Amino acid sequence: MSEDAKKNIAGALTARPNSDDQKLSPLPSPAPAVPPKKVIIKSADMIPDMQKEAVDIAVAAFEKYNVEKDVAEQIKKEFDKRHGPTWHCIVGRNFGSYVTHETNHFVYFYLDQKAVLLFKSG
Amino acid sequence: MLEGKAVIGETDMLQTMQQDALNLASKALDFFDVTEATDIARFIKKEFDRTHGPGWQCIVGTDFGSFVTHCCGCFIYFCIGSLAILLFRGSPPP
Repeated sequence: MSEDAKKNIAGALTARPNSDDQKLSPLPSPAPAVPPKKVIIKSADMIPDMQKEAVDIAVAAFEKYNVEKDVAEQIKKEFDKRHGPTWHCIVGRNFGSYVTHETNHFVYFYLDQKAVLLFKSG
Repeated sequence: MLEGKAVIGETDMLQTMQQDALNLASKALDFFDVTEATDIARFIKKEFDRTHGPGWQCIVGTDFGSFVTHCCGCFIYFCIGSLAILLFRGSPPP
């Protein structure tokens, strides 16, 4: 517990020289598409290979799970494993966000009607 | 205009900080329409960065799921009116 408390304090005091604020909004969903899934990258600060990886993992997760939280969990954990902690993932049809992410570690895309926001922070 | 009482879904946060979050959300809804989710998120995140230290993340919307990692004592998910709001601080850098 005290270790956690120390961690929080350190977090509060530490500067984040490599982070940028990124604003994004959901845009009107594209018309429903026939399979394969329609992919639209709305905003990205991420190398192309990693973007493709994110999309591929998301496609697989949507096929496997129906609940958005489970899809988000699958994507986040896979990225924590492959690219190191700490990633965060939001999945849904209607949300806006304002986040701080590490440079080169942010992507926001649509898979058919669902938006996926994936970014690394901390 | 506040559309209804806030309902906390999940939280790992001091009572006073929780109250800050709810007050900010209520204030944001006075400034912005419920459809301006990004502006509401920015308003809340910026204020928390200012008053509780940097590194906060905020998600606002009517339809989303999420999976995140947060600092101990820095997480709240609540509903106010028709909106769900997720506010958390990501892990500090190693």
